[in-house]
Amino acid sequence: MSIEVKNLIKTFEDKRVIDNISFKVENGETLAVVGFSGSGKSTILKLICGLLEPDSGEINASEGDIAMVFQYSALFDSLNVADNIAFALRERKDLRNKYTEKEIKNIIQEKLELVGLKGIEQKFPSELSGGMQKRVSFARAIVTEPNSILYDEPTSGLDPISSTLIEDYIVRLKEETNAASIVVTHQMSTITRTADRVIMLYNGKIVFEGTPQEMLAQNTPYTKQFVTASLEGPMQMITE
Amino acid sequence: MGSLQKYYRQSATYKIFSGMFQELATFLDTLGKISENGYHVFKYILKREINSKELIYQCDRFGISSLPITLSIVGMTSIIVASQVALEMVKQGGGNFVGLLMTILIVRELGAIMSGFAIISMIGSSIASEIATMRVTEQIDAIKVLKVDPIQYLFVPRILSGMIMMPLIVIVASVIGVLTGAVTAKLSSGLGYRAYFDSMWLGLYMKDLGVSILKSICFGGTIALVSCSFGYHAKGGAKGVGEATTKAVVWSFVSIVIIDMLFAIAFFF
Repeated sequence: MSIEVKNLIKTFEDKRVIDNISFKVENGETLAVVGFSGSGKSTILKLICGLLEPDSGEINASEGDIAMVFQYSALFDSLNVADNIAFALRERKDLRNKYTEKEIKNIIQEKLELVGLKGIEQKFPSELSGGMQKRVSFARAIVTEPNSILYDEPTSGLDPISSTLIEDYIVRLKEETNAASIVVTHQMSTITRTADRVIMLYNGKIVFEGTPQEMLAQNTPYTKQFVTASLEGPMQMITE
Repeated sequence: MGSLQKYYRQSATYKIFSGMFQELATFLDTLGKISENGYHVFKYILKREINSKELIYQCDRFGISSLPITLSIVGMTSIIVASQVALEMVKQGGGNFVGLLMTILIVRELGAIMSGFAIISMIGSSIASEIATMRVTEQIDAIKVLKVDPIQYLFVPRILSGMIMMPLIVIVASVIGVLTGAVTAKLSSGLGYRAYFDSMWLGLYMKDLGVSILKSICFGGTIALVSCSFGYHAKGGAKGVGEATTKAVVWSFVSIVIIDMLFAIAFFF
């Protein structure tokens, strides 16, 4: 087991965003978390990587780093691509003196090649396309050889071809690192191309858990409404 | 009972007092956050866990880039004060004390406080908006996920650079202020340079220089700490960045005036 979440609860002011959620993700497995906007998907990732503290419940991750790829890449805009990727190697207390500058340079090259980018080390994030920024953020995330990788809507805002490319890299990174991966997404292509299992959230609870094929079979009112993108069904958008 | 409570909650008295308590709570919360951040920064400084490359970059930003504007502001303030003071003092027979008055005024007060105001407008606002933008674009979250402490990476070099560069800026600005005062006195009242510079040593002591340097270290550290803290706790999007920057500037202004007052009470009462 690489990530195990047990009875997780998180409340913001009066709203319970995560309501007693439990799931497991094994090494080498990718779990897609789907649901409406505001259903608590990104909150789960922030709880797992420690950006938020749960009100109650447990999050157990096997030893090693948890990396996160942010929705809008969150690259450091004052640093170039090479410095972005090397950030943790240079600034983290336990890694600061572990590598020489030559080794860091090699690691940067290696990670950039892994995400299909070469020769952009000196470019700044503002000089890159959205898809390239995403891939650089992948490279930055895996620089510490993490055991778990969290993706927050990795394909949102990208054109279909860039999305496919990103999906391929998610699969490739899983194969290369054997990491447990959690992908928060709205996009069906990302679910079907990257995920081994899917959980669907509504009102902070898991309303469906199964494989992408089971979701596409639309055997529950929730999966039927989500897959057909229907306004009719058990999940109601909050309009107020 | 319920309707009485509802009526009371709608009353102007309730709104005034609840508003006041809310403001007080926000003020104390802000003060608490700034103090907590300051505590962590000084812990890192004492442990000498400082990113020297970033420190040099921030020193350049804090000191060198702001120097022309800071010197201009202190120089022009000196012209304003000297042109008002010199003519009247020469008329009243106190021409021999113009240099003394200008020097005490600039070294003890104007050099530091006017430099502080210039630094807040140029550097404080820039630090606050930079860090607030990093907050709202999740760059600070990314730093945390990469297991680097944002306080150490963002705050320490900025605050330390403020504490290092501010005294240097104030020394240079004070020299410029005194010299500008001499030229202004000469042009406005015909006071000779010799009379000006002879009198400036009559009341200027090492204590004045020491207090000025100590005060400017406090100013530099406070401006950077307040600006970093407001940026760090920014919320929302572009509006949040704007609000954080405005609050950082206002709090910095008020903070350095309070510090200046405390120094005046402690050393010159």
